[in-house]
Amino acid sequence: MITITDLNFSYTGKKPYLLSEINLNVPQGAYISIVGNNGCGKSTLLRLILKFMLPTHGSIRINASRIGYVPQKKDTDSAFPITVKEVIHSYGRILHLHSIDVRSILSVTGMESQAEELVGNLSGGQYQRMLIARALMGNPDLLILDEPSTGVDVSSQKEIYAVLHRLNTEQRLTILAVEHNLYAAARYSSMLYHIANGHGHLCTPQHYLDEYMTREGSFHA
Amino acid sequence: MLDYTFMQHALLISICIAILCPCIGIFLVLKRYSMIGDTLAHASLAGVTLGLFFGASPIVSAFIFTSVAGVSIEFLRQYFRKYTDLILAIVLSVSVGIAITLITSGVLHANASAYLFGSILTVSNVDLAVTAALSLAAVATFIIFYHQLIYLAYDETAARIAGVHVKTINYIFSILVAAAIAISIRSVGMLVISSLIALPVASALQLRKGFKATFIASVGYSFFAILSGLVISYYAGAAPGGITALVAAGALLVTMLFTHSRNR
Repeated sequence: MITITDLNFSYTGKKPYLLSEINLNVPQGAYISIVGNNGCGKSTLLRLILKFMLPTHGSIRINASRIGYVPQKKDTDSAFPITVKEVIHSYGRILHLHSIDVRSILSVTGMESQAEELVGNLSGGQYQRMLIARALMGNPDLLILDEPSTGVDVSSQKEIYAVLHRLNTEQRLTILAVEHNLYAAARYSSMLYHIANGHGHLCTPQHYLDEYMTREGSFHA
Repeated sequence: MLDYTFMQHALLISICIAILCPCIGIFLVLKRYSMIGDTLAHASLAGVTLGLFFGASPIVSAFIFTSVAGVSIEFLRQYFRKYTDLILAIVLSVSVGIAITLITSGVLHANASAYLFGSILTVSNVDLAVTAALSLAAVATFIIFYHQLIYLAYDETAARIAGVHVKTINYIFSILVAAAIAISIRSVGMLVISSLIALPVASALQLRKGFKATFIASVGYSFFAILSGLVISYYAGAAPGGITALVAAGALLVTMLFTHSRNR
């Protein structure tokens, strides 16, 4: 679904590279979480995959007919005067969808009863579920998420990851998520891509837990 | 009052302004670009003076010059990413420089001050025809790009991923803003255009409704302010622009008091 080959990237176009010799293959139906310390280049890699920037060297090939994207809540204007229904309807219009059944779209993430609410009145978890429902419009075959549980309470995090898990296992939706929530990344992902010092490597959740979990039981990416 | 032709013209232009200003104002306010309206209002004065200098329609020349200024702001945004307010200072300097030079050098054969404060007495049939044509084109553009404009203000990344041509829409929007300002400058004057762009939207935002409801309320506030300004100015013998701005500010204050007491 996504093939990244020998990717190097720096904002100046010169060495030292923020991301160096990145090779990653995301197969169809996989759920891969990109993890690493703040500033390691996780979000930069996401922006490169979304083609908002070009790699300095190397290539990114995406074999998806449609990409669904879930941004961080802070990247949208949550004080914007807009209802959940309007968010969904307008997105359907810019996607040129023929029919837009707002309630049915929202029901995928259990948000249909909040259709008339202003987005500013939603909790962090509800807001994220609305964004996931929106990202699923037009039946994407690849879902990309940027830190889906940031600013979300623990019980809402469970709901969000339950939705993502269901989409991945039942509908075979390919998921790529930048994660700061290491517990969720290790529990729900099929593989993790760990970035450190500009380099990345793919590992299983178990390998990741063994290598990065300290004796006290906390995570260090 | 409406027996006079000039008041009929003023009423028609006021209706155009009352619809157009919230169309652009709601997106400018929500994108935190309210000051662009003020900058482009100054640019429109430069356009008017150039039109008067070359003997062309001031509204057409204001529209062309303001469009160029709006597109320049959008273009310069790529070069001054971290200092976007600097772009406004640049465009403002050039515009005010042109306007002041032409007005004070005595080369103009008409009075440009009517465009500073607004005047309803001097609206010609040509002005009216140009205003109607620009208004229709602007409203049609607003309707066609309505959903794209919402998303550019709410979540530009999602719009980009959905395939919206962000740069193109931003340029189109700049021209839409130019059209609204060029139309408004004759009636309300350059100095208070920005209040008509921002204040009705500010009032509507206090109601805490969805986008469509906020937009409709903005148009309502805009109609109230402009038509009140027109009627009061007729009897008071003052320029309508100032009164319109005061009514718009008063409506905002009343709305804030109303919503504050309702939410207590």
